[in-house]
Amino acid sequence: MNIELILFGAFALLTLLSAGMVIFARSPINSAMALVSTFFFLAGIYVLLWAHTVAVLQVLVYAGAIMVLFLFVIMLLNLGESPTRGRPTLARLAGGAATVGLLAVLVVTLLKVPGDVPAMAPEAQASFGTMALLGQTLFTQWLLPFEAVSLLLLVAMVGAVVVAKSRI
Amino acid sequence: MNLPTLSLADFFPLLPAILMVVGACILLLSEVFLSATASRAYQAVLTVVTAVAAGAVAVVMMFEPPREVMLGFGVLDPFSSFLTFVVCVGLGLAALSSVGFLRRRGAERGEFYALMLFASAGMSLLAMSNELITLFVNIEVLSIATYALTAYLRRGTRPSEAGFKYFILGAFSSAVLLYGAALVYGATGTTNLTAMVGPLGAAIQAQPALVYAGVVLVGAGFAFKVAAVPFHMWTPDVYEGAPSPVTALMSAGVKAAAFAAMVRVFFTMGQGIDPRLPLALFSTLAFLTMVVGNLMAIPQRNVKRMLAYSSIAHAGYLLLGVAALFVTAPGEQFRLLGPSELTGGSPLDIARAGALRGILYYLLAYTFSAVGAFAMVSALERREDEEKGTAWDLERFSGLAQRRPGWAFAMAAFMLSLGGIPPTIGFMSKLLIFQSAVDAGLIGLTIVAVLSSAAGVYYYLRVVVYMFMRPVPEGAQVLERNWGTEVALVVSTAAVVVLGIIPGPIGAWLEQAGTLFGR
Repeated sequence: MNIELILFGAFALLTLLSAGMVIFARSPINSAMALVSTFFFLAGIYVLLWAHTVAVLQVLVYAGAIMVLFLFVIMLLNLGESPTRGRPTLARLAGGAATVGLLAVLVVTLLKVPGDVPAMAPEAQASFGTMALLGQTLFTQWLLPFEAVSLLLLVAMVGAVVVAKSRI
Repeated sequence: MNLPTLSLADFFPLLPAILMVVGACILLLSEVFLSATASRAYQAVLTVVTAVAAGAVAVVMMFEPPREVMLGFGVLDPFSSFLTFVVCVGLGLAALSSVGFLRRRGAERGEFYALMLFASAGMSLLAMSNELITLFVNIEVLSIATYALTAYLRRGTRPSEAGFKYFILGAFSSAVLLYGAALVYGATGTTNLTAMVGPLGAAIQAQPALVYAGVVLVGAGFAFKVAAVPFHMWTPDVYEGAPSPVTALMSAGVKAAAFAAMVRVFFTMGQGIDPRLPLALFSTLAFLTMVVGNLMAIPQRNVKRMLAYSSIAHAGYLLLGVAALFVTAPGEQFRLLGPSELTGGSPLDIARAGALRGILYYLLAYTFSAVGAFAMVSALERREDEEKGTAWDLERFSGLAQRRPGWAFAMAAFMLSLGGIPPTIGFMSKLLIFQSAVDAGLIGLTIVAVLSSAAGVYYYLRVVVYMFMRPVPEGAQVLERNWGTEVALVVSTAAVVVLGIIPGPIGAWLEQAGTLFGR
């Protein structure tokens, strides 16, 4: 058994376990911390898929920035432990049914994917998923959408400040 | 891997947008150094100067040969340059009408003008976008800037309600548009509009449901952005709650840019799939939008709300023009001919080219008339009356002709132009659209358009009647003059009247501007 498969098994199992904890933890803080570890283990799976850049971004953006936001919201709202498990309302049942349906569709689709994925060409393996390639592509070929996204972020930031400032 | 290289000259087509972004950054950064009481008159001037410079560059670019720019992610064609010009006109006039409006409320801030410039930069880039991701990002740039501007003044409940409604519904419609674009990408394997034409024809054979769902969802997303019935529910509340100069920018610029992107996307789609699908889509939307917009505007006594419904009705006439773009003879391949090739074209070719020109002329005409009308509304409204709900009542206009004859004349010109009465630019542009719709064979729809615009004349003329035939109400507020509003009114009145009598000067431009890349 090769090391890649062992690592994949470990990461997958840990991802599932911590994802389960997100749902079953009673305290929101515990849920949030379990979500952090889910993101970390997912990043491990990305590394195994040769997507190093995505793995780094996953840790930086999701496990880092977005989780801090989550924790802030939890602290600001001062959420305690949820007292009781909610009763099954119509909305919850519908949500559950939709989730099961989505899972079924995904399973059926994934079963159709051929099992033996062709190996990556060696010349692609050298640069695939690396930061260097991503940067080069972003700043040449995709320059216009990239700059448009920068403009979008600037506008969103200015807009948020304008809306959040004192009343005028 | 071979990476493309870009030289400085490749960025020239983006110059109008770059100018506006630079202007916005100067406004944002200079605001930091100002004390709370410092004079901020330079901000509107800088915005107007930027708009004029960007508009001048756009006029120069209208005579550049149509080509792909930025590696195919955008295109520079006379169509996009003309739209940029229209956006700059709307931006300049809206900024001028903001001067007095913001000063009366003590709300002058650099961010206001900066967000206007950012939104306009997004509109200019949107008119140039030739790739679905770029297109979507630019839609978001202009949308987010207008969401923030809508909620800029937050005394009372109206602006917050308007801002929130606009934000939620706008985000929803963006999601619909994005989902449609994702389906189209899934079917064709490319996001580039020029490259999509071929694969689209193959995809429609292999997976028709996927392509049709994608096209219809993209259409629904755009229909929301241009406020077409039945996606118009947000318009009256948002237009009423937003600061009047922002409403002016929304009704002119946002609409023009959204129409430009819609025409470009469906022009691509029409070549790949059966053009009868967009024809059916836009005919239905046009019919509903014209009828509902005009009927809903009739009972309004609130002039700002009436103008909101009237902007829905005008989207309907524009949609009639868009529908006329997609009329084809049975078995004919859909195409749009440029001005130089028209002599050999069939009557339908001439009608389609006329419809495209009509849309462009209409957008310019609507920009001058509607921004002028909103400038007038913002000059008459007072913050104290907003809670009472009388800030925009028809009574405000009573006897205006005796108190400020110049203002009353300008407003009358805008109302006649919006109603489509000669000799105004609104008449000329309506004539162009209706004529090409008749030439294209959409006779029933054109009759509906003529009848509904005749119904529209009623509510436009009511404002004129109030201004000229009603006495001045007792205890009427003092009407302050402001240089910004006066300049905006003079410029737009001059354009509305002069271009209505002599449409010649921009006739040649329009011939030119009807050139879309990738025919």
